Amino acid sequence: MRHRFWHTTAAQLKMTFRNRIALFWSLAFPIILMSLLGVLFGSSVSAGTITVVDLAHTPESQQLVTALVHTDGVDTKTGTDAASAESKVRNGDRDGALVIRPGQNGAPASAVLFTSNTSAAQAGILRGIVGDATSTIALREAGGHPPIAFRSQSVDSASLDYIDFLLPGIIAIAIMTSSVFGLSTVLVDWRKRGILRRLKLTPMPLWEFLASRVTASLALTVVQVIVLIAFGRLAFGVHIAESAWAAIPVALVGCLAFLALGFFIGSMVGSPETADAVANSITTPMMFLSGTFFPVASLPAVLATIAKLLPLYYLASGLRDATVRGLSFSDVASSIAVLLVMTAVLAGISLRTFRWEPAN
Amino acid sequence: MDAIQVQGLTKRYGDHVAVDGISFSVHQGEAFGILGPNGAGKTTTLEMIEGLRKPDAGDIEVLGMPVWPDPMPVQARIGVQLQSTALFDRLSARELLELFARFYASEDPAGRARRALGMVGLEAKQDDYAARMSGGQQQRLAIALALVHDPDVVFLDEPTTGLDPQARRNLWEVIRTIHDEAGKTVVLTTHYLEEAELLCDRVAIMDEARIVALDTPAGLIASLNAGARVAYTDEQGEHVLYAHDAQAAVLEVLESARAAGRPVEGLSVKGPSLEDVFLNLTGREFRE
Repeated sequence: MRHRFWHTTAAQLKMTFRNRIALFWSLAFPIILMSLLGVLFGSSVSAGTITVVDLAHTPESQQLVTALVHTDGVDTKTGTDAASAESKVRNGDRDGALVIRPGQNGAPASAVLFTSNTSAAQAGILRGIVGDATSTIALREAGGHPPIAFRSQSVDSASLDYIDFLLPGIIAIAIMTSSVFGLSTVLVDWRKRGILRRLKLTPMPLWEFLASRVTASLALTVVQVIVLIAFGRLAFGVHIAESAWAAIPVALVGCLAFLALGFFIGSMVGSPETADAVANSITTPMMFLSGTFFPVASLPAVLATIAKLLPLYYLASGLRDATVRGLSFSDVASSIAVLLVMTAVLAGISLRTFRWEPAN
Repeated sequence: MDAIQVQGLTKRYGDHVAVDGISFSVHQGEAFGILGPNGAGKTTTLEMIEGLRKPDAGDIEVLGMPVWPDPMPVQARIGVQLQSTALFDRLSARELLELFARFYASEDPAGRARRALGMVGLEAKQDDYAARMSGGQQQRLAIALALVHDPDVVFLDEPTTGLDPQARRNLWEVIRTIHDEAGKTVVLTTHYLEEAELLCDRVAIMDEARIVALDTPAGLIASLNAGARVAYTDEQGEHVLYAHDAQAAVLEVLESARAAGRPVEGLSVKGPSLEDVFLNLTGREFRE
């Protein structure tokens, strides 16, 4: 019966891709959303915030610090501990750390700029600004050695450009929307209109029909991931990591979890309009609470805790780890595991409560 | 061999008895009608035979196989057009038919789809979505879907309800083709007396969950034991009487009217129909 399954899946795909409104929400809307947010917030005026730690305390080093504080292109905070400044870069709290150490045995003081390696463009701008400031001071010094030797060093960090941060969140929202609505509203509509009842008369088991629907949704998910990553790369220069392929398994499992949520709604609700309203009232708050548009860390503690109960949080962070953070498959395995558990629980409940025919 | 055998079939919904212990059989190759007013239990009966509703009591065999507890072997050999036609929105008639042919794992789905379209006269509409078709065309597509796997028995549940007279006549032609040319056993429900009389070899008249009569249309009418139906109106209202001798009956009406000095209007004489059979059996007029 393998033939029948694939032909049914092909029919499901035809129905999906002929539904212009559903296709708008699956592909065009995420692209519009990303373009809007990317244009509004993607290119910040400042190249970032750096911590300056002056351990040399020479007149030149103090001049350099003053010069940086007055530079428009970068926000400068002063610090006293080199190790903590560097770890803030690593955590993503700062975009760079400049550590000025006194020179040994008459050698010039050294200034080392630590930048995040996840954002090469931003690091380049910071290097340029700090390098300029350093050489200006060197020129003022009459002859001899430059008073400060400048060098930069990149560190692994969790910091991302906003657009890099945004892209995986947008992909997660696109998958959530098309999966939840692709099974809740559609299933309720088919049941209400008696289409499921008509199918029940054919020898094709209904689980096989549902499986073909799930397979078509998974295929749409792969299309969404590829189209949206390509758009982010081409239109906004999003830095796509080499490990981005690991986004596919995360996306597929995320699709399953949200299909299960759609199935859950579809099994609880009688009319397509109600299904639509319920799906909207679940997905819309989740969109803002799950670290898709801004990091969960920026939420109040209570909301941040709630975020970690939401499937979209795991889908978005799994996609972010794979697509732009450059983390490997084993790092996203925990997100995958959480999503699989959610799928099993929701699908399990729904299978018990699902009805093929409308209530009389 | 009988295509369908039904024994003591019963269905209850709470206190309401929808089908009350009915028994009948349908012969192979027959066009069998279940006629009755709305709410008589026709659709419930049909859906129990099709394996969609589980009976509370009674036995059903279709093509020698029991329908319950597992209706699947029977469902593979019957074709069903349900009362409410519902189809996927974004598949063309041809795509729908090929998909349904594949559900049955039939050979040559494209050829089967083409033949089913031909049988219901929808070739010109093969690339249209069902939503863009008229009510009559949608109903013909639903019948084509019931035929696509070449079933032995075809069930049509109120196939012409809601259609205009022209579309209804077109559909009658389709049903005749299925029965006369393709030689299928056809079971249909209807609340149109005329339809049952025209299309069916035998008719079961259902009223209030029971079968009140079962015979050929001619046999049912003959059971009235009357050659004519005489109807007229006078100042006391409308009168209908059944008579062996139409001539004598009319003369009697007119003579007694003259004797009593009451004018008679709208006098008509015609052969009795199934409507008269229903009136005679239930004491109520048939309401469509």
